Amino acid sequence: MRSTSLFWALAVIGGSLLLFAAVEIVLMVVGPVEPTWLILAFPLMGLTYGATGIEAWRRRPSNRIGLLLVLGAWCWLLAGLANVEDEVLIVVGQLAATVGIAVIVHLVLAFPPGRLPDRASRWISISAYVTTTVFEVPLWLFNPSSPAMIRDHPDLDRLAHWFQRSLGAVIFVAFVVVVVRRLMAAPPPARRVLAPLLGYGVFTAVMVPVSANVLPVLVGIDPLTLATIQLAVLMVVPLAFTLGLLRGGFAQTGELVELGASLGADLDRPELAAALSATLGDPSVEVGFWLPGRSRYVDAAGRPLDLAVGRERRRVDIDVGGRPVGVIGYDATLLADADLVRTAGRVVAIAIDRQRLDVELRASYEALRTSRARIVEAGDAERRRIARDLHDGLQGRLVLLAIRAQRLVDRVGPGDARDQAQEVRFGMDAAIEELRALVHGVMPALLIERGLEAATAELVDRMPIPTELAARVRPLPASVESTAYLVVAESLANGVKHSRADHMWVRLDVIGSELCVEIRDDGVGGAATNGGSGLRGITDRVDALGGRVDVDSPAGRGTVVRVEVPCGS
Amino acid sequence: MRVVIGEDEALMRLGLTLVLEQGGIEVAAVAGDAPTLIAEAAAHRPDLVITDIRMPPDNSDDGLRAALAIRVAQPEVAVLVLSQFVQRQYALELMSDGAAGVGYLLKQRIADIDGFLHDLKIVQTGGTILDREVAGALVERARRTDDVVEALTPRQRDVLVLMAEGNSNAAIAQRLEIAEKTVVQHTSLIYDRLGIAESDAHHRRVLAVVRFLAR
Repeated sequence: MRSTSLFWALAVIGGSLLLFAAVEIVLMVVGPVEPTWLILAFPLMGLTYGATGIEAWRRRPSNRIGLLLVLGAWCWLLAGLANVEDEVLIVVGQLAATVGIAVIVHLVLAFPPGRLPDRASRWISISAYVTTTVFEVPLWLFNPSSPAMIRDHPDLDRLAHWFQRSLGAVIFVAFVVVVVRRLMAAPPPARRVLAPLLGYGVFTAVMVPVSANVLPVLVGIDPLTLATIQLAVLMVVPLAFTLGLLRGGFAQTGELVELGASLGADLDRPELAAALSATLGDPSVEVGFWLPGRSRYVDAAGRPLDLAVGRERRRVDIDVGGRPVGVIGYDATLLADADLVRTAGRVVAIAIDRQRLDVELRASYEALRTSRARIVEAGDAERRRIARDLHDGLQGRLVLLAIRAQRLVDRVGPGDARDQAQEVRFGMDAAIEELRALVHGVMPALLIERGLEAATAELVDRMPIPTELAARVRPLPASVESTAYLVVAESLANGVKHSRADHMWVRLDVIGSELCVEIRDDGVGGAATNGGSGLRGITDRVDALGGRVDVDSPAGRGTVVRVEVPCGS
Repeated sequence: MRVVIGEDEALMRLGLTLVLEQGGIEVAAVAGDAPTLIAEAAAHRPDLVITDIRMPPDNSDDGLRAALAIRVAQPEVAVLVLSQFVQRQYALELMSDGAAGVGYLLKQRIADIDGFLHDLKIVQTGGTILDREVAGALVERARRTDDVVEALTPRQRDVLVLMAEGNSNAAIAQRLEIAEKTVVQHTSLIYDRLGIAESDAHHRRVLAVVRFLAR
């Protein structure tokens, strides 16, 4: 529950308790009730349960002990109505008092986690509630002194009493057995704290009904004295249990186990900090995560951590295998036992460390990706350089040689020498032509000079199969353009070689921050991505630039090669 | 004839100079980048400007754009551009203003000294010359996409290519080793089929043919 809505809910509960108490007091004053201090007894008890319950609820929102105490508060406030002069209200009041005992049974069984941990506890608790409500009713039906009598039937009345008492006894025995077993199973430090508390709870739950039924017969005690003793005993319960809950001096093993289980899910830092805070029951828990690269702690939001200071603030360092991994700052008034925090820390240590691994993995993946992209770009720059050097340097030299050969042909008279010179000249032409083709294969001039769209248009033009181009692109980074061009060239070449298509289509689009290239043909299909080494090389290249290659080639229905490459802004 | 050359690569410059020397053509200036080329053309007012398409500073198509600028500023100057790989688009851009005296050749053609000098003459006197590579590519593409061209006989397509190159009827006859009269027959039929007006002026013919093939 968020703290503001919790605050208002608790304020409403507190307010209504106070209101009811006030009304009750007025009713009792009007009563009248003897002796006068009794007027205040039940309201006081109700408010004690209420105040401690609200405080426990506020401080431990995820723990139901607070709720139980508030329930108890209502029971005791209602129980006070037994002193009012109204037959119905008297019945209500006496009923409420017995339910109050059942609440204490529930409280003891659910302490400290606030939940009934096993089936036995649940059965006992349910039985206690049922016995004090449903099975209480018959006691009012056949007794003449009861305002709700339907028939005077002493036998049924005795039966009802016997039944209820027997059931109550069975429940109590089971109750004591379960509590004793739990205490035996608890680790010694926890047992030391739990035993007195639970013991007192059991004593109260057993003593009040037993004393009401047995003592007057055995000892002949004055009813007022009995009531006083009972009220005093009952009053201590909420104070003791709330104090025990808030001091938290015992291991909340159940909650820690839950924390461990929840860490199986992939929690991010804020979720982790919240889970820890909920488990420890301290909303002011701060978790710091160690950043090895920067040698300091950051909080759940990734900002540098500033652990709160204060008289009651303590910290526990968490490490894994000797390496610092995290730190927990907590409120020592809520968590008196540093061992508990340390244990919780150990539980989350692995999860925190995994966070760190996650971040490191992501960073190294990013570094890998950028390095691959750089390799592709470096390769392109190299190719460009080779193309230019070959073009500018070597081709120029060859052309010059061809010219010299031609001049030789022109200068020399007809004869063998001239024929040979002519041969040289033709040879030069062939060499120049081969060089031109080679340069074009390495990096087409048009791609460098005019960009992707122009180079693709030229490529498409020279296809032996009719090919259409639809292009809507702006100037893009060089490596993106070269990669796209290679994709088109390779796919078209594959199409011509293998697809037996009648028609091919090429589409270039810039969508958002990605270049989309699509090459389609209406051929026989059945192409595979890992088929030719050409397409695989391109897949690697596209992948290195952070793009995707998709080949869809159902047999008999043509081939579609789709490539998307991010192109920056 | 006086020419201004635009070429940044030393060996090509040397080759061009040798060829022009052999043809008795005067080289008025040599420019190493596009802005200098425009300046030298303005300063020397040559008959012809020969330039590489790829020139500094950008090393993309600076030379081509400089040539087009010169044609606008000095319409009387003929222009011949050289390129390592002939692209259809460059040819179309060069011929886009429809004026005469323009040529587009592969660099290696200059080694064919006689042929090159002959082409220079044609361009300088207002003709139009297209490298046979690009002419061939234009016709081939048209053959695939245009029924009219598809319907021509192979021989007629050869004539069409030679027309697109900027050859005169006589030159076509010589290349194909047929009579000039036969050539005229072919060209008439081609004019008819392609819907081009008959014209003797070479550059208009080339223009018309290329325009038809490039649509």
